[in-house]
Amino acid sequence: MAFYEVYSHPALIRYKTSVCTKATLFLAIVLCLTYIPPLLVAYRSQGFWIKRSTYEEQPVVRFQYQTLLVAATSTRGDYVAWSTFPHLNNMLGNNLRIPAVSVREEDQNQDGKLDLLLFNLQLPLKPEEQVYSIQLLITFSYQLFRMSTVVMQSLAFVQHSSSVPGARLFISGDLRLQQRTPLPHRGLYNIYNVSVIDGSSPFASAYDLDSIIRSYQERNLTTVLSCPMPVWTVGRAAGSPFQLNAEIRYPMEIISYRPGFWETIKFAWIQYVSVLLIFLWVFERIQRFVFQNQVLTTVPIPVGKPHLS
Amino acid sequence: MATWTVVRRSTSQVFSLFLFFTAVSSNENATSYNNFHTAAFGDQNVTFNDMDNDTTTQPTEFDSTTPTTLSYSTTEEPVLPTLTTEPLPVSDRLLSVVTNVGSFCPCDEHKDVCDINCCCDRECGEEVALFTGCSVVTVSGNKKLCSRDVASSSLRSTIDGYSEVQLFVHKETNYDVFCIQSQNRVDGFSHPSPAIPTGSNFDSLFKQFSSFIFGSEENSGQASSAEPLTVSGYRYGDIMMTAEDSGQRGIFWLPAPTVTADCVDTSPAAFLQDQSNRCTRDLVLEQDCSTLLALSIDTYTNIQLIAGKNTVADVVPVQVSSVILQSVDGTQTELQISDGENLNPLLLNQALCANVVLKVGYVMTYNPAGEMVNVTVSVVLGFVSEGAVPLEQEFLVTFVQEDEEEVAVHYSGNPGYVDGLPLVSGTRSADGIVQSVDPRDTLSLLHSTEDQDCLLGPHQHSPVLFGVDSVSGCTLRLEDAGNCSLVSQMLLDVLRGPNYSQYVASFGNSPLGNPLDWLPVNNFNLDEAQSCSIPLSFHLEVEWTKYGSLVNPQNQIVSIREIIQTNTTSLELLSGGSSILSVRSSVSFIPVSAPAHPGYRATPTIDAKLPFDFFFPFV
Repeated sequence: MAFYEVYSHPALIRYKTSVCTKATLFLAIVLCLTYIPPLLVAYRSQGFWIKRSTYEEQPVVRFQYQTLLVAATSTRGDYVAWSTFPHLNNMLGNNLRIPAVSVREEDQNQDGKLDLLLFNLQLPLKPEEQVYSIQLLITFSYQLFRMSTVVMQSLAFVQHSSSVPGARLFISGDLRLQQRTPLPHRGLYNIYNVSVIDGSSPFASAYDLDSIIRSYQERNLTTVLSCPMPVWTVGRAAGSPFQLNAEIRYPMEIISYRPGFWETIKFAWIQYVSVLLIFLWVFERIQRFVFQNQVLTTVPIPVGKPHLS
Repeated sequence: MATWTVVRRSTSQVFSLFLFFTAVSSNENATSYNNFHTAAFGDQNVTFNDMDNDTTTQPTEFDSTTPTTLSYSTTEEPVLPTLTTEPLPVSDRLLSVVTNVGSFCPCDEHKDVCDINCCCDRECGEEVALFTGCSVVTVSGNKKLCSRDVASSSLRSTIDGYSEVQLFVHKETNYDVFCIQSQNRVDGFSHPSPAIPTGSNFDSLFKQFSSFIFGSEENSGQASSAEPLTVSGYRYGDIMMTAEDSGQRGIFWLPAPTVTADCVDTSPAAFLQDQSNRCTRDLVLEQDCSTLLALSIDTYTNIQLIAGKNTVADVVPVQVSSVILQSVDGTQTELQISDGENLNPLLLNQALCANVVLKVGYVMTYNPAGEMVNVTVSVVLGFVSEGAVPLEQEFLVTFVQEDEEEVAVHYSGNPGYVDGLPLVSGTRSADGIVQSVDPRDTLSLLHSTEDQDCLLGPHQHSPVLFGVDSVSGCTLRLEDAGNCSLVSQMLLDVLRGPNYSQYVASFGNSPLGNPLDWLPVNNFNLDEAQSCSIPLSFHLEVEWTKYGSLVNPQNQIVSIREIIQTNTTSLELLSGGSSILSVRSSVSFIPVSAPAHPGYRATPTIDAKLPFDFFFPFV
């Protein structure tokens, strides 16, 4: 007649000891070795605390309708210029040349955020003038909302020159965000919500492109017009204006930020516990061996019978 | 735009509204599906008949300008505006919305003319024979609906070879699990009808929708003349006023470069801001020599400044302190100013203009009340030839406090040297160290010129700036190096500069009376072997250290030496047959600071410590 296992249950055995014994010491050492080394292992294997993380967002960008244009009209350094700043226009005197500018901003996917700026500028020229180089500076209002609320004013700078006089310059590029240090994970970040060009200043130094670009590049957050392929078309008909067509896209950006306390803890906790489980299992086996075999003297108390009868 | 932002943000918060608003935005996406250009019918919508009865018949009642009335509120009733405001004359009715997909033809762009390849154009008859395809194939309703109307048009050939347009409207079924079976929201799938501008809400509407526009500059052109006149004097950065002959007030201009290096004449000078502007002018000598005001000395000297900002302030005339005449080869002589002399530009011949203003320096003395006390100007006049065009002019303005005993000595740091400021140097005399008041008279380095020759003058020198390593040089032609001892001495003089100082201050503000603070320039001559040798390189080596606290370290020069390298072999061999030798002058700054280390009061026993970011988010 064969026997078979009809039922099984684990039996709980308690091992008792007093405070000042080897078993107590052993227990303390085991506890330390179980819970502290996982922390060290998780830390030393790098990436325990995440300090930088990224998210994706399309910024809310608006063209600020501020423009500064400088065009070299001869090879010996004559120029014409125009801006939307009245003080500068007054200063330019005879070099002021007012172009015809048309601007349209488009929301292509109807998500409420503008996606594209179409900027068209026609610069009328005198018969003896030709355009050899173009410097165009336009400013934007740039906003991010998902993690920290970023409100800033930024610029795009186009500079192109050619030894051959041109008829048209076509620019199609992206307005990219550049950041040096990660953004905070929450709060309002508006230290750069100041004018890139101080249009109310009557001093010539306020419109110096050197100082404008220098102070702009000192910022942590900047935008840059990434236009790898400007198209310079030569062959301007006499009497026709120089044309500058720009298509500037406002693409989705990957923004890095410094995670907050709970996000950091969340990822650290996962790593710690996953290593801890291994240590718990190992030291559980060690403890069982030690106490079962009475390597350290303890008083085992077998499971009592639950019912007295 | 603001409206949409609010919608998007709130959808992420309230999930139950997510489908609803996505349906709104995807309604427009249905049009791009059909290959239209979105700009072709910007404000028209493909919607359904049963949902816009309210908006078409009574558009004026529906005011939804503010984002909140876009109604995620549970009340179904839109906010009714009070009817007391009169609508503006032209805008009392809005266009009704085209809703039936069958009657919607986006490619019909010409009135009463058949649009080619526009299959839904009702005017096309015989012209269909010219068609090659349909530019708009389908016009469909909202794709989120389980059952939607789709108007399709197609072109097919008949048996006898003619083209024939087929138009039909049919129902398409959406088998998506989350399709919308029926919808009872009136404004769910269409844009909310815009608020009717009335006389009372026009300003708020304008403010809401026009954030950036052309011509929105707050200050249009004129200098800020409407400042409060509570302060009688100027303050830092204020524009200084002049009294014109006509009795009006003008502005004190100081030419400056702006977007290019060209001079801009109408840039004001700011009170208490020292400026040094260099800018260029393009001239046609024959025309401009006597007519261009910017070349004439009178433009810069015949100025009456107003001492303060208020109207009763005194007038301070600009006094000419010196006029220096610069000859064609660059030598300068001071002119004795006599009254009748005409110093205006003069065209000597077709290619030479005399008495042209090259440099203007204003020195303005002010008192603590912000009033101008005294203004002097010194002018450098010179000749401009045809070859020296465009002409560079320099304009300086410096502000000096009244009652200042002597010219202020510029420190190069207080106390430690500041990066980029010139070294403080002096010479030893019987009663201590003597330092020049001119900040340019300091240890300097030869600056390369266009003719590159070491022995031919004039030589330019640039001051040695603290912390800035630099190199420059000149060339020595071998045929000039015949008299060795003479050339060697001349070359050394050129390399060392005209005002070669033997002592350098160890701090930026070392007092003259303390000789221990001044370090001698050690002469370290390599290769003393030969009796006479030509110096081939002149190198200044400055060792400096950081001094004082870790938080505010002060830069201190600990030693300075000049290293002169001379030739050891014959010059011909060194030049490699090119008969030209290059002579280098350089300066280098070597930090010799000991690395900062923490100091303990008692030696700690255990140095086991966790990495600094071990408890990163907690600390």
